[in-house]
Amino acid sequence: MEIVVCIKRVPASDTTIKIAADGKSIDPAGVKYELNPYDEFAIEQALLIKEQLGAGSVTVVTIGSKDAQKELRDALARGADKAALLTTDQWISDGASTAAALATWIKSQSCDLVLCGRQAIDSDNNQLAPNLATHLGFACITEVNKLELADGKFTAERDIEGAREVVTCPTPAVLSCQKGLNEPRYPNLKGIMAAKKKPLEEAAAELPAAGLEVVSLALPPERAAGKILGDGADSVPALIDALRNEAKVL
Amino acid sequence: MVRRIDTYLEQLLPDEKLAFYESVRDFADAEIAPHLLQWERDHRLVPDECIQAMGQLGLFGLPIPEEFGGQGGDHTDLVLMGLAIGYHSQSVAITPGAAISLGAKPILLCGSEEQKKEHLPALARGERMFVFGLSEPGRGSDAANPEVTAVKQGDKWVINGEKCWSTNAAWASHVVVHALTDKDAPNGKRSTCFIVPMDEKGVFYQEMQGKKVWEQSSTGSIMFENVEVPHDAILGNENEGFKVMVTTLNGGRLFIAALALASLAFGLDKCRIYAEEREQFDNKPIGRFQRVQDVIVDMDIALERGITWLMHCCNLYEQNKLAREQAAKVKVDCSRTASELIALGMEICGGVACFDEFGLIRHHNDLFVTRVGEGSNFVLKDLIVRPLRGR
Repeated sequence: MEIVVCIKRVPASDTTIKIAADGKSIDPAGVKYELNPYDEFAIEQALLIKEQLGAGSVTVVTIGSKDAQKELRDALARGADKAALLTTDQWISDGASTAAALATWIKSQSCDLVLCGRQAIDSDNNQLAPNLATHLGFACITEVNKLELADGKFTAERDIEGAREVVTCPTPAVLSCQKGLNEPRYPNLKGIMAAKKKPLEEAAAELPAAGLEVVSLALPPERAAGKILGDGADSVPALIDALRNEAKVL
Repeated sequence: MVRRIDTYLEQLLPDEKLAFYESVRDFADAEIAPHLLQWERDHRLVPDECIQAMGQLGLFGLPIPEEFGGQGGDHTDLVLMGLAIGYHSQSVAITPGAAISLGAKPILLCGSEEQKKEHLPALARGERMFVFGLSEPGRGSDAANPEVTAVKQGDKWVINGEKCWSTNAAWASHVVVHALTDKDAPNGKRSTCFIVPMDEKGVFYQEMQGKKVWEQSSTGSIMFENVEVPHDAILGNENEGFKVMVTTLNGGRLFIAALALASLAFGLDKCRIYAEEREQFDNKPIGRFQRVQDVIVDMDIALERGITWLMHCCNLYEQNKLAREQAAKVKVDCSRTASELIALGMEICGGVACFDEFGLIRHHNDLFVTRVGEGSNFVLKDLIVRPLRGR
C-alpha cells in the first residue's frame, strides 16, 4: 500500500507566542518549533500498516519553508521512506488552500491512503482530511482512534458525542488520526543516520488564491489574580456566594 | 522553557547528533521524568519496563557496530544520551551508560571475534548486560593489584574473592572479573580479565544496601567461590587485565563529565526559573538581587564552558587523540564545579530545595558520585600532574 502522510511544522505547545508588528501573524523570533503532535500518530500508523503488510511505502509531505526539512527528516528517521517539501514563504491560514496544494501534489503520486493528524495545533482549522478527500475523490474518516486493516478494508473507531462509532471504508481513503490511536515511536540513532540518505524532494507549492484572510490576531486576556476568601469552614458561605454570583457556575 | 544546555548544543552539534540528542531528550521527558519521584519514594531500581523501553530505542547498542546489531554510533552519541537522560536522573542515565562503557565497550575493544559474535547482538538489544567487576572491598584506586584471584588448574581457571560497587549488578547476565593471575610480575602485568556468567556455580550477587546516591541504579557486591571458567573466558590477553581496565575507563570518564553537566543544566534551569517567579522585598523577583544573579550566572558560565570542553574532548576521542589526562581533567572539573554550584543554587532557592519533588536534592546527591566514580578526583590529579613534571 502506498501511503502519504501530511505533516506540519508548528510552534511548540510550550513556546511563548508574540504577535508580529503587522498584527496578523506571529513573530517568529525566539519561537521553538516541533512536529505537530497529532501528525506523530499519523506517521506511526503509516509505519504500522506498512509493517503489517510487509510491503508498500510511506511518503511524508509538508508545505512550508526550508526549515520544515527538520520535521521531514524526523519522520524519515522514524522509518518513512521518502519526503517531499512543497515550498512557500507564505504563512498559510486558509485550510482550503493547504488542502488544494497538497491534493495537487498527491495526484502526481501513486497513493492508496492519506493519513494526517486530526488538526494542526497552531491554526486549529481541522479541515485538511475532508478537504483532501473531496479533491481526491477518496473516502474519509476523521478523528480515528482505533484502526484495523483486513482484506483491503479499514475498520475505524471514533468517539462521537456520547458514543463510539465504528465505520468501515475501502481504499483509497483519507484518515485523520486522533490521540490514543497508537504510541508513536521515537527516532533511534540508526534511523537518524539512515534518514540522511533517504530522498527529500523539493518543489514549489501550487497554492491557489486564498479564500480567506486573517484580519487580526490577539493574545488571550491575562488571567485575573486569584482571590482568598478566608480560612476554614467560616469562609464557605463566601465561597458559595462567589461561585453563584460572580463565577455563576452554581 | 528552552533549556540553556539545548541552546549550547544547537551551536556545537551537527544536525544528526542534535536530532539524536533531541529524540532521547523527548523520550526522557515523556517516559522517565513523570515517574521519577514515585520510583524514588518507593526506593525502586530502574523498572524493567523502563529498561525495555531504552532497549527499544537502541540506547544499549549505541556504539556497537550495525554488523553486531547495534546502532553504529560513536562515543559522542553515548555522551549525548548521558546529557539527555541525566538532566532528569543520573541513576537512569548510568544504567545504559555503564552497560555500554563498562559492559559492551570492553568486549568491543578487547574481545575476540567469537566473543563479539556471541555477546554483542544481545547486549545491543539490552537483553543481556555485562557488569565490570573491578572495585573490591579492599581495592579501589589501587585497582592494578586485585585481591580476587584466578588460579590456573589444567585447562581451567578457578576464581575466588569479592567484587563490590559493580554498577548494574541486579540486571547482569555476565560479569567481567579483573583478577590477580601473576603476583610476581611487574605492576600492571599482574592481572587478567575473565567473562563469567552470573548464573555460574559459585557466583553470588547481593545488592548493596543503604546507598543514598544514584538511588535507582543497581550497585552490587559479587562473591566468587571456587568459580571455574575455561581459558577462552579470558577477555584480552592473559596478564593484560590492567590494560583492558584502563582502555575501558578512559571513555567512561567523559560520560561521568556528561552526567555532572546534565545535573548542572537541570540546576541552572530550575534556579533561574525559580528566581524569576519567587518574589520578595516589594514584590521583586529574587533573580533581580545581585547575589542571586551571581550564582545563576556562574552556573551558566560553567555549563557553557563545560559543554564546549566536553564536546572538544569527544572530538579528540573519536580521532583517537584524547590523552588520559585530558579525559581526567574534564571529569574532575565538571564534577567539582557542578557539585559546588548546585549547592549554591539550592541555597538561593532556600527551603523548597530540601524537598524531593523540587529535584535539586537528587542532583546534589548524585553529583557526589561524579566526584568519586570512574577514578576519584584526588587520584585523577596524580594522572593530570604527570605531563606537568617534565621541562
